[in-house]
Amino acid sequence: MIGISNVSQIYRTRGGDVEALREVSLDVVDGEFVAIVGRSGCGKSSLLRLVAGLQTATSGEITVAGTPVRGPRRDVGFMFQRPALLPWRSVLDNVLLPTEVFRLDKRDSRARAHELLDLVGLNGFDKRLPHELSGGMQQRVSLCRALIQQPRVLLMDEPFSALDALTRADLTVELQRLQMKQASTVLFVTHSVDEAVLLADRVVVLSPRPGRLREIVQIDVERPRSLGHDGHSAELGELRARLHDLLMTPEEVTR
Amino acid sequence: MTVAETPRARRAGPRPDARWTQHLPPVLGVVAAVALWWAITVVFDVESFILPSPIEVGRAMTEQSGYLWDNTLVTLAETLLGFGLAIAVGVPLALIVTASRMLERTVYPLLLMLNAVPKVAVAPLLVVWMGFGQFPKVFLVFLVCFFPIVISTAAGLSSTPADLVELGRSLRTNWWQTFRMIRMPAAVPQLFVGLKLAITLAVIGAVIAEFVGATEGLGYAIVASGASADTALAFGAMILLGVMSVVLFYLLEAIERFFVPWADRS
Repeated sequence: MIGISNVSQIYRTRGGDVEALREVSLDVVDGEFVAIVGRSGCGKSSLLRLVAGLQTATSGEITVAGTPVRGPRRDVGFMFQRPALLPWRSVLDNVLLPTEVFRLDKRDSRARAHELLDLVGLNGFDKRLPHELSGGMQQRVSLCRALIQQPRVLLMDEPFSALDALTRADLTVELQRLQMKQASTVLFVTHSVDEAVLLADRVVVLSPRPGRLREIVQIDVERPRSLGHDGHSAELGELRARLHDLLMTPEEVTR
Repeated sequence: MTVAETPRARRAGPRPDARWTQHLPPVLGVVAAVALWWAITVVFDVESFILPSPIEVGRAMTEQSGYLWDNTLVTLAETLLGFGLAIAVGVPLALIVTASRMLERTVYPLLLMLNAVPKVAVAPLLVVWMGFGQFPKVFLVFLVCFFPIVISTAAGLSSTPADLVELGRSLRTNWWQTFRMIRMPAAVPQLFVGLKLAITLAVIGAVIAEFVGATEGLGYAIVASGASADTALAFGAMILLGVMSVVLFYLLEAIERFFVPWADRS
């Protein structure tokens, strides 16, 4: 579904060139949930923005559903780090924004918006304004907005990083539930090993400066997963420890 | 029955004590200022034509209430017409200015120069150009209001929050969609900053215009009563101007709170 081949990204700044990504290749199959983890400066957000078409790669090629990415597209949904809700629009109208931009059928869209809001537990909040909602609720609205146009690919850029620890845990559980229900292709950037282990089929570890693909860890643990005392805690604990080590030990840069 | 209902009714409405703390300070301020004014006229035994006491002003206002009311309406009409004209011209101009860097650089210096011209100096010229009717007054109000409205609207339009701009980009909105769905509504709080500033200037503009070549309006009333040494009446007219300014300002604020309830919370 997503093809990333030999992608490099170099930012030209006043202080000289900064190499953000070096020859990264990755294939994400249909319905797969892939998490990208790495320390800050590893280019994980850059990679996501390249797939979203928000910026273009210095070299290499990116395809979604077989066609090269030339700019933002309708079959790709993007969820930002911050909710980015329009403060003057009600919750419902915020969710409907993409459907207005794409001029989709109004009645269908409204029905779908209500369905999505129900799904994330915001039933009855549709007429509220964003400032009346908590941070976690705002981010749920943002998730609904990213899903309303039924994208084939959902890109999430550290979507829970601005929330407190418990709200994060809640939303992680919820996203897992959603994913089990509708199995869309997701590329999820995070710096939280816990989120990656709970949500992903595969976890891609990037190493920083320049961002390179270090390792891909397969998470073959049955869903629903949790970090509490259930059947999989031992397996998940093992994977967490491995990812932790990968992130904490620097890798020799081969030039 | 009534006894039992009272506390419930009180709880349902806005809390009365909260209301008190909200309205008491401004009332106290006005009362204190009037008392001080009155004390000065009594203690220093000031002549009435130099500084009339609040009581004399009150008497003049009640005796000539019809005259003052008619003139208040004239000034109010000029103020509102000029203000409306400034919105009608200023907002579109702000759109044009923010649409292109080149236009901004062409128009801004002109605007600044126009704003730097002392409006008092323009008032007599307007009479020469436009005669003694109401139009030169409306036009002067327009000149005074126009600048803050253009500047604040332009500032609002060019300071759309970065995450909302990015959102528009990710949805591939075209120029018009970005403008209509994101930039314009995001600029409204800034627009109101300019409107509130402009409305207070508008009243001043109307009075300045009425000082020159007018036969009615509160500005004219001040000049006329000053000439006949009826200082109490002049004070009455000035008080009405002040009240008008305050009422218009808070009216705008109420409109803002109604239409932009999200303004200072996002």
